Amino acid sequence: MITGKNITKTFRQRGSVLAGREVRALRGVDFAIEKGGAASFIGESGCGKTTLGRIIAGLETHDSGEITIDGTPMSPLKPRQREPYFRRIQLIHQDPYSALNPTRTIHQTLDAPLALRARQTRRPRSWVDERAEELLALVGLDPAYVLPRYPHQLSGGMRQRVVIARALTVDPDMLVADEAVSMIDVSLRLGILGLLKDLRERLGVSVLFITHDVATARYIGDDGELYVIYRGQVVERGHVETIISDPVHPYTQSLLSAIPVLHGLEQPGEQPVVPTEALDESHHDAGCLFARRCPFRTERCESELPVLGRAEGTPQEHACFHPERRSVVATPIGRG
Amino acid sequence: MSVTPEKKAPGVRVSGLSVVYRTPTGELPAISGIDLDLVPGTITGVVGESGSGKSTLALSLLNAVQSPGRISAGSVEIDGLGDVVKLRGEELRKARGRHIGYVFQAAQNSLNPLKTVGKQLLDLGRSHDVADLRGLVREAKDLLGRMGMDGARVLDSHQHELSGGMRQRVGIMFALVLNAHLVVLDEPTTALDMITQATILRIVREVHEERGLTTLVITHDLGVVAEVADRLAVMYGGQVVEQGPTMEVLGAPRHPYTQGLLRAIPRLVGDIDEARALPGRPPTLGTIPERGCVFRDRCVLRMDVCETEKPPVVSLGASIALCHAVEAAADRDGRADIPPAGGLQEVVGAQGATGVHEVRGEQP
Ligand SMILES: Nc1ncnc2c1ncn2[C@@H]1O[C@H](COP(=O)(O)OP(=O)(O)OP(=O)(O)O)[C@@H](O)[C@H]1O
Ligand SMILES: Nc1ncnc2c1ncn2[C@@H]1O[C@H](COP(=O)(O)OP(=O)(O)OP(=O)(O)O)[C@@H](O)[C@H]1O
Ligand code: SF4
Ligand code: SF4
Ligand SMILES: [Mg+2]
Ligand SMILES: [Mg+2]
Repeated sequence: MITGKNITKTFRQRGSVLAGREVRALRGVDFAIEKGGAASFIGESGCGKTTLGRIIAGLETHDSGEITIDGTPMSPLKPRQREPYFRRIQLIHQDPYSALNPTRTIHQTLDAPLALRARQTRRPRSWVDERAEELLALVGLDPAYVLPRYPHQLSGGMRQRVVIARALTVDPDMLVADEAVSMIDVSLRLGILGLLKDLRERLGVSVLFITHDVATARYIGDDGELYVIYRGQVVERGHVETIISDPVHPYTQSLLSAIPVLHGLEQPGEQPVVPTEALDESHHDAGCLFARRCPFRTERCESELPVLGRAEGTPQEHACFHPERRSVVATPIGRG
Repeated sequence: MSVTPEKKAPGVRVSGLSVVYRTPTGELPAISGIDLDLVPGTITGVVGESGSGKSTLALSLLNAVQSPGRISAGSVEIDGLGDVVKLRGEELRKARGRHIGYVFQAAQNSLNPLKTVGKQLLDLGRSHDVADLRGLVREAKDLLGRMGMDGARVLDSHQHELSGGMRQRVGIMFALVLNAHLVVLDEPTTALDMITQATILRIVREVHEERGLTTLVITHDLGVVAEVADRLAVMYGGQVVEQGPTMEVLGAPRHPYTQGLLRAIPRLVGDIDEARALPGRPPTLGTIPERGCVFRDRCVLRMDVCETEKPPVVSLGASIALCHAVEAAADRDGRADIPPAGGLQEVVGAQGATGVHEVRGEQP
């Protein structure tokens, strides 16, 4: 179990035009992911998803707040003491093309971390090859075919599976999958999603899933939690099915309304929400972070910041003064 | 800039187009024998998986396939330009930009990092002998403004000062600013988030209509074409295996690949298990079968004839599919019209079983 309390992170930009500008990438985010659980982060580009994922994987520091892994708070620990905790959280990069060393065969790629693991756990050298084959079979690949090959000889879907197998060499408790399927061909995408779901169910690995594509979040498990993030703040949070079918926050509704409709197969939702303006991270308002773009803002929204909380009548948490259910998602034709 | 009558939306006729790439094992076809018409004034979407030949097709429309590739057969007739496959040198350079606007794949990274966007705009104008450079800048600012950006600021910026979505829109501005009436957009929204994507697609649609363009949008994302395209061409293994009006192709897909692809899309609502992965994986340059059907390794309706014979071109209503099973079904039913909506369920429903007979069995 990993939890985060009030995580904040601010970046200072360099660059000529933007020099000195501060980006509040995370503004006090809370999260909790159970063992074997699934959480998905969705939101527009730049809202802080990757930053949060990297902090959770121990690859980025945060400014304040506390991360607790299996009951142990991380902040009092020295970096060396934290290391074993974070090693059990593996990040899967979005791009299976650059994640693997092109000059090494898959055998070589898996051998190094497994040999280290064998030394740490005092296993015989012969275990390494066995384990490599086991892991490849686990991610649905044929070891005999894959092991002698170089990454460029494999399809994108196969490469992404190899990347996942490599992450599994350290027996992780959690995988952080940052846009792990976006670069994969549509016909292969479901296979990877099914694999992540499988790893949860069979090995109890938790999955943190970061994506632009809300629909894919359903496929790593319908028991998952969805976090909708806007400019570093979680604005809606709840069961993935609830948020998709009954979103109450106008920002969530904008995200869902923007999903392309498969005309001919689907009809658009009845009350689509379109932001009145494009995202501009630089503006600073006292009120709701979404107010400038929100079609439903009132005076209150411009002066007061809504905080995430559970309101009466909705199963999910949200940060909006005027939550209202809207039917924004496209539905299959003929089934209403 | 006003639209001169002879620069109205052109029609494009691609016939028998093949492109080969030189590899250590010889010249291999990336696309072979493609026939595709772009109807004047429409948006055509080309969809297909990685390596199916989409970008190669797009480059062919500009006769811009680079070595080690070359157009090995076929023609691309564009109204007002003739067969661009025959154009050379200066003629070709002038045609690109003036007549054909284009945004290459990864346009986000195709700007010159050392020059501001404005400088690059002036370079473009000069290379096309634009007399009124101020007019050009005004036009560019206008377009950028329409796309929700501060034109003056963007023109003063370098590539690294713009976000991915801003760069994509700058690419689209470059494609439109010389007032071309044939516009080719290769993956215009890839790697963008949904809201930015929706905004860009809306703009593409608006500008297309306002200016009376013929537009080709290339993407691996069926959702994108479903959203913007009037007509749809589905590519697999270097061929267009199905094409027709978007509503028809999506509502009643014929080709087993189109059906499988549609079924593999993760869905937002409904039963999760309705979506199924398409077994197998797409072919690459060296593994595209030379004979028979390019899709047969993954096809549940495969028959013996698919191993050896090129699939026939079957016209049904306004759409076309290249497939033996589709032909067999059409012959049997003795009709060339489109079955009512539900075509997807009919044929896909039979996929769990063994073949064509079940397809017939389920048809009314
Ligand atoms: N190392 C850094 N230095 C400066 N700013 C940064 C850095 N990393 C991230 N940022 C900024 O922090 C914000 C959040 O970035 P982050 O990468 O977490 O977003 P994201 O939600 O993952 O976006 P995307 O969907 O585009 O991947 C952005 O404004 C980004 O520009
Ligand atoms: N310069 C090149 N040399 C050799 N082969 C090439 C070259 N460019 C493309 N190919 C091959 O030609 C085929 C078609 O490539 P193309 O780029 O047209 O595909 P695409 O459909 O645009 O794919 P993507 O979705 O990945 O952009 C692929 O198998 C590719 O490997
Ligand atoms: S608090 Fe107000 S401005 Fe913010 S999302 Fe809700 S209605 Fe819109
Ligand atoms: S039925 Fe035959 S021709 Fe049609 S897609 Fe399948 S393998 Fe190809
Ligand atoms: Mg990110
Ligand atoms: Mg391409």
